[in-house]
Amino acid sequence: MSPLHLTRLVTRVAVVCASLALAAVGLTAATAAAAGTATPNVTGVTGTSITIGATVPLTGIASPGYNEVAKAAAAVFNWVNNHGKVNGRKILYDLVDDCYGTPGFGCKGNPDVHADTVTLVTKDHVFATVGSLGTPTQAPERAYLKSVDTPQLMVNSGSIDWNCVGGSGTPSSDCNGTTYPGLTGWQPSYTTESKILAKYIKANYAGKKVCFLGQSDDFGHNGYLGLTYGGIHPVVTRFYSVDALVVSGAASITPYIESFQSAGCSVVYLDTIPGATAAALGNAEALSYKPQWVISSVGSDPTTVATELGSTPDSEPGAISFAYLATTNGFTDPWISWTYKVLEAAPGLFPGFKSTSVLNGNEAYGVAWGVAFVEALRAAGRNFTQASFLHILTTMKFETPAITPLQYSATNHQGLIAGFVDKIKSKTATEPAPGKDGNKTVWVTKSTSASPVTSTTVLSLTVPSWLK
Amino acid sequence: MKVLASLRARRPVLWRAVATIVLVCVALVVSDHVSALTDYYLADAAAMSIVMVGLSFLTGVSGQVSLGNGAFMGVGAYTAAIWADHHAHTPIAANLALATLVGAIVGLLVGLPATRLRGPYLAGMTIAIGVAFTSIIAEFGSWTNGDQGLALPRPVGPPKWLVQYLHSTPTAARPGNMWLADIAVVTAGIAFFFMANLFRSRTGRAMRLVRENEVAAEIAGVSLPRARVLAFVVAAACAGLGGALTTIIAGLVSPSTFELSLSIEMLTLLVIGGIGTLSGALLGGIFYAYSSTWITSLVNATGLKPTSNLAASLNGIIFGGLLIVFVLLAPLGLTGTTRFVIVRRLRASRASAADARPVP
Amino acid sequence: MDGFLTSRNVTDVLEGIVQGVVVGLVALGLVLIWRATRVLNFALGAIATFAAYLGMGLLSYHVGFWWCFVLCIPFGMVLGGVAERVFVRPLYGKPELNPIVATVGLLLLIEAVVGAIWSTTTRAIPVPFSFIRWTLDGNPFALSPLSVFQISAALVLALAIGALFRFTNLGLQLRATAHAPEVSRLLGVRVGRMLTLGWMLSCSVGAVAAVIVASGFATGLTPSEMEAPFAVGFIAAAVGGLDNPIGALFAGIAFGVIEQFVTDYLNANLVLPVALGVLILVLVLRPQGVFSRQVARRV
Repeated sequence: MSPLHLTRLVTRVAVVCASLALAAVGLTAATAAAAGTATPNVTGVTGTSITIGATVPLTGIASPGYNEVAKAAAAVFNWVNNHGKVNGRKILYDLVDDCYGTPGFGCKGNPDVHADTVTLVTKDHVFATVGSLGTPTQAPERAYLKSVDTPQLMVNSGSIDWNCVGGSGTPSSDCNGTTYPGLTGWQPSYTTESKILAKYIKANYAGKKVCFLGQSDDFGHNGYLGLTYGGIHPVVTRFYSVDALVVSGAASITPYIESFQSAGCSVVYLDTIPGATAAALGNAEALSYKPQWVISSVGSDPTTVATELGSTPDSEPGAISFAYLATTNGFTDPWISWTYKVLEAAPGLFPGFKSTSVLNGNEAYGVAWGVAFVEALRAAGRNFTQASFLHILTTMKFETPAITPLQYSATNHQGLIAGFVDKIKSKTATEPAPGKDGNKTVWVTKSTSASPVTSTTVLSLTVPSWLK
Repeated sequence: MKVLASLRARRPVLWRAVATIVLVCVALVVSDHVSALTDYYLADAAAMSIVMVGLSFLTGVSGQVSLGNGAFMGVGAYTAAIWADHHAHTPIAANLALATLVGAIVGLLVGLPATRLRGPYLAGMTIAIGVAFTSIIAEFGSWTNGDQGLALPRPVGPPKWLVQYLHSTPTAARPGNMWLADIAVVTAGIAFFFMANLFRSRTGRAMRLVRENEVAAEIAGVSLPRARVLAFVVAAACAGLGGALTTIIAGLVSPSTFELSLSIEMLTLLVIGGIGTLSGALLGGIFYAYSSTWITSLVNATGLKPTSNLAASLNGIIFGGLLIVFVLLAPLGLTGTTRFVIVRRLRASRASAADARPVP
Repeated sequence: MDGFLTSRNVTDVLEGIVQGVVVGLVALGLVLIWRATRVLNFALGAIATFAAYLGMGLLSYHVGFWWCFVLCIPFGMVLGGVAERVFVRPLYGKPELNPIVATVGLLLLIEAVVGAIWSTTTRAIPVPFSFIRWTLDGNPFALSPLSVFQISAALVLALAIGALFRFTNLGLQLRATAHAPEVSRLLGVRVGRMLTLGWMLSCSVGAVAAVIVASGFATGLTPSEMEAPFAVGFIAAAVGGLDNPIGALFAGIAFGVIEQFVTDYLNANLVLPVALGVLILVLVLRPQGVFSRQVARRV
């Protein structure tokens, strides 16, 4: 091709491209001008509804226990929608399946949690995410949700990553050096839990050797920290990886339990998820090793652990754990009968649930924070924005199934910071732990080493009349 | 059109450059007019197609089966995140270039032992790499934060002029996602331009010869181990670039993204798209970004209960089924088979046209 | 002596052997298919799992545990035969990428189908052997009745396969087909049938391995249970030499022991990276495999 032809061709192409670009500018300028007259709105809120969302494991490995949490909250929202709504609005709860914890193809949802969150924000236009589950899934979303002005409320996890409000209560390393004013947790942190359990261990198992098995992430490490803050120093400390547990099963934990046994530990603290709890219990059975188990609330729900154990003998009864809801036998809880009503009224979410069904920890947990959200929404009134909602959340008094006060404040976005020591009674029931510092004493402590562990009065629980 | 055809024949590199620029411009315009969510998918698709074009080269052109490409992608993704965590003000282009380089180095390290392996042994070794990657990430938790992943210190945000330009968008997400899509599309354009030239170059032809007939290749003076290692380096570099791009798009990196299933999914989509081709990689990228959405729509359309066993397993059934169907019936994939059919038709019509000419 | 037997290292070795027999069986299965058809069957674990689910599914029809266990073998044979005939036979002679991709597709499909039929919830198997370990002088020993069952089942099966190959006419035909298919055909061996038979035997070996994996405590049948044993089993087969069944079995057991030591002294996360490292080392030093008698092709 001659240079002349070439030059002409290139010029032609350049003109085409430039005109495309100009057209683009022109078009977008036009649409921009037209759209400029839209009225500002609170995202996710209309005259008759408010849309919230969450990413949870609806299918996949983690789902059997964990999906009941979100479903229980959804049942609460259903109940409220059918019994008077909240300030004239229905709550629309969009659950997106994020396949939490499932490797490979075994689940229906999109394991790209970020894509799921972007979907919630840009397609469902949620007012806030409420009750999204998991530390590794939610911690990386903090920056994104802050950048799009969407609150991230009541994250289902005990990590201290959700308390990023500056001040002495905030470990800055977990907050990337920034504050996230729209972010809150709900349950007591792993550190709060282990500090309180450390107190119980000191009071009742003084002089005995303690061994520690924790998950190899924030969950295990924060729990370990709390034990040391409480003055317990395990003689053997091992961390298990969830990856290895899924791949190799109970055998991946066998050497750890063997090392506990040869070190002569008569108390073993488990900061484990139910699958790992079952693996530890099963391994100890095989080794004829019978220590006193102290298990984190995350992994101690007796029904869930019994399911994980399958046909292996269940050695969990007798274990000590931590609780903050009143579903433990021995507390009077008017919320229990209400919870049964709510779950029975949602057969789509809980098919076959009736008054004789066992209420497990996951369901109680979901109901408890679902109620908290509904109360905050009601208190916020008919006209609110994200900012005013957060203000209400951090200043109001709640009446929830938690046995300790839910105390959000300007300096505490963790949520609950208290609980009591309970004991696994059977495959389906728990009771308050006996002994010193047990017996229904409720303890309060923040997640730092300096904060003391002090006792507080048990709340007397009532179901608000407008919820009944 | 004749002008274009002769340009394509005489100055192929210039033709490819022009074609790339035009396609990129079109994509940029498109990104301005679609929703924020579509922009996000567009960005994802662009990033993934870069990874796939590398795999297309490795497996399609040089004939080495790799089921560990997800690990190379993860290497790039983590390089970008770890570097950004320690040097927050590096420009994006430098970060991407670094990830590409690190990917290439890892490709070299893997490619060297891999030259001794054939077929299933190679595939098996790459599977082992694909599986071991997440364990390695978990092991070096102090750098990688283990299971919890790393977030970029500041999410990648659009420049001020773009924000003002789109001032009245309904949600805050839109200028951000559009900017990400634009970055991804431009990067993909550059990568595809490079790869297009590589596919058609002497090196590419030498690779094909190595795949088809090793003895002939040796006789022709091609160094077999060098060709094979080069293929790995190229594939890993592409994967590293694509991985870093996904980190920038998502603002975070997490080990669960880079399991073995990712490598298998990549290979599947590439087989469907057309292995050994560029357009196959492009199709594969788009399929990847939209596969969850399509499967969810399928579940809704067929009225299956979303939490039923069948719905949860649908992903695997569809992917596995498609892979088998394509390998048995259309191993060249969509683009390859289409091209084959077109070429056959052209040849048939040319032959009949030749027949029609009177024999002198 | 008792102190020695319950010491940490001996415990690790014995536990490693228990884990390793499964890996060895998988490796054996892979080698059987490779020798017969020169295809690496990525779907071996999935087919094996399917057969195990089918066999153990009979439990709900009040069939006893032992019958269910034994019936897994014919289920494995049927599935393996169908897989070879329908999905792999059309691909002989095609580029080597194709059968690999086909078996990967089978892997995905079969695991998903198993999950669709039986759900991904773990199903415990009622094995009539206690998992409680024996004690020597009050210290726990590494083995329990269950682990002895696991080791014995694997060894009995391996011996049976070995006897089939060595002492029967059928075994002779299988070996002939693997070594020299054209000559065997000329001598009247039905080569096609031998190829299918190779797959059938391999998948029945895998089925037993799948049951052994699922028979542990606090575990059971899950659709993806054979994924990890497959990865390590492949590595063991490659290290032992893809043409040597006995080498593969021993390599598998050795890897089981290595795995156990790595979990105990280092970290469970490092099991796969260490296996990978061993593989790369062997491939660099002796590419044809440690026990192989072939000479490797030098590039």
